[in-house]
Amino acid sequence: MTVLLALALGYTGLTCLALGMKRHHQELLGRKPTEARLRLFKAAGWLLILATTAACLMLWPLGLALSMVPILVTLVGLPLIFLLPYRPALARHLAWALPLVAGGLAVGGLG
Amino acid sequence: MNGSLRQSMAWLHTWSGLLLGWLLVAVFVTGTSAYYREEISLWMEPELHQSVRSDDTVDLAWQTLGRIAADARSWDISLPDARNPAVQLRWQPAGEEQPRQGGGRNRGEQVWMDAGSGEVLTPRETRGGHFLYRFHFELYGVPRLWARWLICIATMFMLVAIISGVITHKKLFKDFFTFRPGKGQRSWLDAHNASAVLALPFHFMITYSGLLLFMVMLMPWGIDAAYDGDRRAFFDEAFPRSTETPGPAGGPADMVAIGPLAAATAARFERPVSRIEVQHPNRENARIRISVEQDVTISGRRRGGSPTQVFQGSSGGLLETIEPREAPAPLMGKVYNVMTNLHLVRFADPVVRLLFFFSGLAGSAMVATGMLLWVSKRTQQLRRQQPGAALKLVNGLNMASITGLLAAIGAYFAANRLLPPALAERSSWEIRVFFLVWLASLVHGLLRPHRRGWIEQLAVITVLWLALPFVDMATTNSHLFSAAAWRLGALAGFDLICLLLGALWGYTLWRVAKPKQDKRKPARAREPALAEGNA
Repeated sequence: MTVLLALALGYTGLTCLALGMKRHHQELLGRKPTEARLRLFKAAGWLLILATTAACLMLWPLGLALSMVPILVTLVGLPLIFLLPYRPALARHLAWALPLVAGGLAVGGLG
Repeated sequence: MNGSLRQSMAWLHTWSGLLLGWLLVAVFVTGTSAYYREEISLWMEPELHQSVRSDDTVDLAWQTLGRIAADARSWDISLPDARNPAVQLRWQPAGEEQPRQGGGRNRGEQVWMDAGSGEVLTPRETRGGHFLYRFHFELYGVPRLWARWLICIATMFMLVAIISGVITHKKLFKDFFTFRPGKGQRSWLDAHNASAVLALPFHFMITYSGLLLFMVMLMPWGIDAAYDGDRRAFFDEAFPRSTETPGPAGGPADMVAIGPLAAATAARFERPVSRIEVQHPNRENARIRISVEQDVTISGRRRGGSPTQVFQGSSGGLLETIEPREAPAPLMGKVYNVMTNLHLVRFADPVVRLLFFFSGLAGSAMVATGMLLWVSKRTQQLRRQQPGAALKLVNGLNMASITGLLAAIGAYFAANRLLPPALAERSSWEIRVFFLVWLASLVHGLLRPHRRGWIEQLAVITVLWLALPFVDMATTNSHLFSAAAWRLGALAGFDLICLLLGALWGYTLWRVAKPKQDKRKPARAREPALAEGNA
């Protein structure tokens, strides 16, 4: 488990949470979402934040891990906020590409 | 009722934020730099950079102390670690111990030694990263207690600003992915919200734990009541330390060689030796304490408990083995340790340190955007009128506290390289350069028109920070293209962070200097709920 993977999971989680909001959903995917889809994205987002928490718990001892979760989420959230208006397509693609790359690096033992 | 509560909170947020914002930016920026204070200090002492630890380092330190401090009362050798390549040798000279000015133990004499050659090194005189670190909670040139109180009051207002801010921006959590670029005040508001809300846990943690570090100064009454005003008794009970008072020195005697003892301790704990302390060196009753590095845990205490072996100096016989352990602490003690360790980032993990550093930058940006928002809102209300003296004053102070401080820090680093090494009071001159540049930026900010002033100051900090690695290249042998910089990591990292930050200031300059397209488009009142009561 690497820090990069934890960061990537946090980024995807936050992007899912943004997709769970009507306005951002429309900005990112260009169509009106149904209530069910919004709920689905919200659930996925929170699950990924949970996964980030799990990753932190594997990386650090309890006290530090719980403190690091909000810090990791902050650090990936800030770029996301600025990507959304300027490069929405990039923001969307990063959401699936980052965990893949970080996961690949972790499996390859490089990250 | 709700409306008036939010209005009063908005008022509180605006004015507490503005008045203490100037101080808080400085606290945040210098505090963020303090995560790397050891690395900054190392960068600022290039004379130490060529030192490399070898198998002989311990013996060399032993011989050097035997030569320069043979009759000392005690020796203390700090061996190189990941953050420092040179050996620090300290000793208490013979004779009665002189108490340090202002209380506390006298730290005695100290020199640096090259870990590879045993040569005594004399680094240029500098306060290094400790100046910035101290500045973030004690300022400079102000009586220490006053400065600490001032910072603590500002920190309490920061907590007030955080809480009142959350109440003010009711839609904060709904809108926190929102950034609307190119819309003047609205964009500043979004940036302020985004950096504030996302990083809220970090801001809360760093502010609260900062106050906790000063709890005894801020709220002494509980302790005074429980301990009858005897604070020393409280400290002894809450933060016990081993007090080992050595007896009088015995007659002269030779000591055994240190090499095999150090090797034995390193093998016993399977870690390199980090510290060697000797009581009564070269005496019959010499005692040698050899310690290895200790894992710093987040709930643990700073000192004590590192794995140690104690030897008799004259025979080399093993007296005691102290196993690694975590000092037992009551639950509240553990909570205090976790909070304060989070503030100080004592647990040495480079990745965590970097993540905290970036969080600190985000915190600085949050305070700075709030202050810019104040000016932006009032500039838009002017509608082509000339700005009044108050607005000019606030803007000038904003400039000094943001770009001015960055110019001062950059100049402090540059002065370290460019001032002649033998200059008298060299470390004071570095600090004078820091404050002179800061003052100059304030004067400049007050005199120049609004936008021109920002552009000029941004240009200065861009050039200054981008130039730092090149100044380093011209004046040292441990620059970005040298083996030493990459062997130590911290040195290469310092130059790379300078380049990165310089590029960031350059990008900001480019954005600010670019002519605006929708200059006179009124950006107000489209979403009144969000704009209401802000700034």
